[in-house]
Amino acid sequence: MQRKNIFVLLLVVMLMSIAPAFAQGATEIKMWIAFTDYRLDWARDKAAKFNEVFPQYNVIVEGYDNYEALFAATALAFENNTQPAVVQYFEAATRDALDARNADGTLRFKPIADAIGDRADVNGFAPAFDDFVDAVREYYTFDGTFASMPWNTSSSIMFSNQELLTAAGVEAIPTTWAEVEAACAKIMAMPDAPTNCITWPNHGWFFEQSVAQQGAELVNNGNGRADRATETFIASEAAVSYVSWWKSMQDAGYYVYTGSQRDWTGTYNAFIAGDVAMLIYSSSDTTAVTNDAAGAGFTAAGSFMPHNGDMDYAGNLIGGATLWLSNGLATEVEEGALTWLLWFTNTENGAEWHQITGYIPVRKSSVELLATDAWFAAIEPMASPIWADNELIQGAQGQAWYDALPNARVASDQLAAATPSSATAGAIVGAFPAIRNEVTAAIEDILVNGTDVAEALTGAQERANTVLEEYNLLNAE
Amino acid sequence: MTLTVILLLIIAALVGSLYMGYGYHRLRRPVVLGAGVGAVAGVLGALLFMLPLNFCTFEPERAILDVGIGILLMGTGMGVVLFSAHWLSRYFLAKGKDKPVLTGDRVQGGFNTSVLIPLVLLIPTLIILTLFLYYPAIDLFRLSTLLARLNTPRTVFRCVDNFSQILDPQFSIVTIGAIILSIVLVVGIAYIQRIGETRNNPLYNTMRSLVTPTLLVLLLSITVDLFAPDYRPVVYNTFFIAGWTVILGILLGLAVAYLVFQPVKGAAIYRTLLIWPYAISPAVAGIIFFLMFDPLNGIINHLLSLIGIQGPNWIKDPWLAKWTIIIASVWKTLGYNILFCLAGLQNISKELQEAAAIDGANAWQRFWNVVFPGMTPILFFLLITNITFAFFEMFGTIDFLTKGGPAGATTTMIYEVYTLGIIEGDLGKAAAQSLVMFVMVIGITIFQFRTSGEKVSYGA
Amino acid sequence: MTALTQTYAPEKKKNANSWLPQRWYLHILLWITCFIISFPLLYAVIVATQTNDEVVRYQVTPGSSFDTNWETVMITRKLGSYMVNSTVQAIIVTVGKTVLSLLAGLAFVYFRFPGKWLVFGFVLMTLMMPTELLIIALFRFVSGLGWGDTMAAITVPFLASATGAFLFRQHFSNIPAELSEAAQLDGANPLQFLFRILIPISWNTIGALAVIQFIYVWNMYLWPLLIIRDERAQVVQVGLGSLRNIDTTLTYGPLMLAAVVTSIPPVIVFILLQKQFMSGFAITRDK
Repeated sequence: MQRKNIFVLLLVVMLMSIAPAFAQGATEIKMWIAFTDYRLDWARDKAAKFNEVFPQYNVIVEGYDNYEALFAATALAFENNTQPAVVQYFEAATRDALDARNADGTLRFKPIADAIGDRADVNGFAPAFDDFVDAVREYYTFDGTFASMPWNTSSSIMFSNQELLTAAGVEAIPTTWAEVEAACAKIMAMPDAPTNCITWPNHGWFFEQSVAQQGAELVNNGNGRADRATETFIASEAAVSYVSWWKSMQDAGYYVYTGSQRDWTGTYNAFIAGDVAMLIYSSSDTTAVTNDAAGAGFTAAGSFMPHNGDMDYAGNLIGGATLWLSNGLATEVEEGALTWLLWFTNTENGAEWHQITGYIPVRKSSVELLATDAWFAAIEPMASPIWADNELIQGAQGQAWYDALPNARVASDQLAAATPSSATAGAIVGAFPAIRNEVTAAIEDILVNGTDVAEALTGAQERANTVLEEYNLLNAE
Repeated sequence: MTLTVILLLIIAALVGSLYMGYGYHRLRRPVVLGAGVGAVAGVLGALLFMLPLNFCTFEPERAILDVGIGILLMGTGMGVVLFSAHWLSRYFLAKGKDKPVLTGDRVQGGFNTSVLIPLVLLIPTLIILTLFLYYPAIDLFRLSTLLARLNTPRTVFRCVDNFSQILDPQFSIVTIGAIILSIVLVVGIAYIQRIGETRNNPLYNTMRSLVTPTLLVLLLSITVDLFAPDYRPVVYNTFFIAGWTVILGILLGLAVAYLVFQPVKGAAIYRTLLIWPYAISPAVAGIIFFLMFDPLNGIINHLLSLIGIQGPNWIKDPWLAKWTIIIASVWKTLGYNILFCLAGLQNISKELQEAAAIDGANAWQRFWNVVFPGMTPILFFLLITNITFAFFEMFGTIDFLTKGGPAGATTTMIYEVYTLGIIEGDLGKAAAQSLVMFVMVIGITIFQFRTSGEKVSYGA
Repeated sequence: MTALTQTYAPEKKKNANSWLPQRWYLHILLWITCFIISFPLLYAVIVATQTNDEVVRYQVTPGSSFDTNWETVMITRKLGSYMVNSTVQAIIVTVGKTVLSLLAGLAFVYFRFPGKWLVFGFVLMTLMMPTELLIIALFRFVSGLGWGDTMAAITVPFLASATGAFLFRQHFSNIPAELSEAAQLDGANPLQFLFRILIPISWNTIGALAVIQFIYVWNMYLWPLLIIRDERAQVVQVGLGSLRNIDTTLTYGPLMLAAVVTSIPPVIVFILLQKQFMSGFAITRDK
């Protein structure tokens, strides 16, 4: 009969645990972001501070492994009506976010500008859309409406191991593909040369950057900005020259492929370990790269992403993600979400976020703040423990941030150096994540299996066009 | 188009009436009645898939592959309906030994109550099975004919395009080789049998033992060949990973079970120490092996370096990544296999083993000639359950260990359904791929039922 | 299942080397096998107590970071809450499925009703429909019910199965018919018969279904990955994923600690109920 008793016990436990677990109280505002590391902790610190100031709201931040996982999770959540009030979508999801609809045909997201309307402020926070840096404001403005709240914006930049370059006799940090190749020849000729010269992740973003640098569009109809894009140019001349250069760098033993797509960790570790002299990466990790390099005993010098010297330099793109507001929220939830978004991306928080990561300050006012030594006093009152514990940041107090950490300025300067055009505004296209997958898969095929560049890219273009055609069939008006 | 449809339905009616007419003839019932029933059943069968599809596969502009799929679907529908009609006819019309025996009809000391009571007892089960298994299964069929994506309510009818995109039959070298080998084996065996030199003929015995593996390779290879180049690696990965996991898992399980079955002190303790990994989840197995096989910091490469071997990049190499998954899965299923092999060993008559020992058979001969044949029922059971595990449950291991990579080298069919349908939001194509798996599961189940009914005895 | 515990009688012959255990080479072989099979988990247990530094130095003794790892796993990442959810889920499904399967088995064995063969076939066919195969459509259906992020979504679809119903059907058909005839003579109704007679003699089978179900549900990964988004409603296998990235890099210690803690309940249930587990399968094989 003992087993019977176990069963009865289990039943009792079951009944007890069904008791209501979620307490009622402040208006709950859920935000989902694509970070699970210190950036998630930072956002949670900020939410806790916000909840203290506004006890009527309870902001809850949940983290996902990466942008792609969050994108998929949000689509699923909308299906069963468990979506958050605010979700962080990466730049490639912009078209999908604008098009996303519920079963009843209503849009899933509401443009931030529409939610704010013509109010001068929400709970005392002014939207100040003009305060956003130009590249950001232009990327996320559609038909004159500001669509989502910029938060983490980056650009792709290069980090060089200064000591290795100097030892090899490379005087200036290379800026063009040819200069990179020449520098690599010198570096690899050294008796104690690193394993390879350079690396970067096989991520669609770097491909798009290089195409834009050459002034070429990625998709038709003005890069999808004049009208809905219906065709991709993955196998364009600009694309083929970039990937051919990439492949030649690998063939020469300069570039090392870490073996998997979107491998941020592997490439990062190779640079910090001194296995490569140069790393093309996102500016999002500028602080960590600088810190870790110093820890490993060398100087990581930031510079613009190298471009094709045979073409006029058109400029680089932004990357990163913005915060989208769900449509159809209860009034008090929407109000709370707007308050939170405006507070979360205000001047001081924007500056702090930039300092702990390396994402560019998205507000001009944050840039101005960091250009003087006043930043410390402005940020400190509401700062998170992550900020307070960062030795690099604490050591910089008393001087202008950009003087203390010149690398911090590179991405902002690079974006400002772009000539405005549809190419450098960045592509807006449906099913962009899937299109990116076709690009990275083709590049992997080229790097690993030695497939012909034009052939592989043409194949990817055909598949991407099919994906896009299907997307437009379901989403175009 | 209308003409084609009428023609197809007439063919269906003809085939149906021939089949059922013959069936009624054997039941000694009016052939005309059978032909009538058959004609109706044949048409209904043809309409089973074609009515929802609106005969779209036979539209003039359709490719030959689509027409082929259409004929296959029509044939399947007719097969299902005609088989059911035939079976029902036997059940209701036949007498004596022709009448099919239904195990479900057996009643033991039955309660003579109202019909309602058993139905009330069954209704919760039936409702759940209908809502959460049958309804989704039907919805899966509907979805597979659509262009449907997450994030948009609009859908577009695509006929069988979602299927024809992943199908592209061809003959690979492996298939051709297997066909040639099968022919050689069949002819060779037939010839040796004819000249009567079968006794103690090593060539003959070798050929006999090669028949089953060859046919198995042929079957798997033909299945892989059915699919389009984009999807073929996924099917291949599934078979490769599942196949080696099942084979190694069962063989190791049997070996360890044989070891712990030996009379030693503390056998019960050893047994417990050996079988517990069964309770570990596939996800946790993935996590632990991810740590152990980490190329930089993993203990496996560290241990290899201690004996002077430079450890490979386990999860970044396409071939080794498959093996890492296989090793993790074999470990995870080993406990289960040991447990059942032990139970099987206990059912084998000890007298037989002892008699073999007295005859001077050594341990290996005893194992091979006495133990192994006695184990076939349980090994067959393990084969089926292991295949099911490898097809579906391995998802967690893959998701934590390799995420389907590198370059799709460990993407199995279920993982592809997840990536395509959920991550990329392409519901229609994912539904079509699910149905391809469905067909395989049906194949395995039918094989299981037939074999367990005829050859394998589970008798205690 | 008594056969499982039975072993051969120890050899009576006196061993020449009496200080060695009988058949010492077998013991050594078995120890090695046990060690190899246990190695992954043993290693995970050690890593669970270590800092990343200790892991990459391949330290083989317990590390210094158990407290920190425990705090990360239980407080920063809320493994405890996942464990509670999984426990509730596993108990609801285990109890619910056992009850429904008992009722279905009762109906199949002790009643005669029109269309029984049809109902039997209807249940039998579901053996060919694993949930994993249907996830795309099942997700749409369960979402449509508005069950996202609820306990219902991860329990109700699993409350009935052909395996459970057939397990009890098989078990009941092995019980002599006299039992139910006697019960009817005593005037017992079917439910009284079930609770007073059948269940008390079926604890082994119930235990078998319970242990299979408990482990199946506890280890469920794909379905909750799709249907549960809210961290507070998440189950343990999916929740583990949130432990991959704690700081800037992969942290082995907390991840392994979570993996080990997660595995404790099913392993204990399995070890305690292994005899029932086997006997359940023995029934399905009896003809």
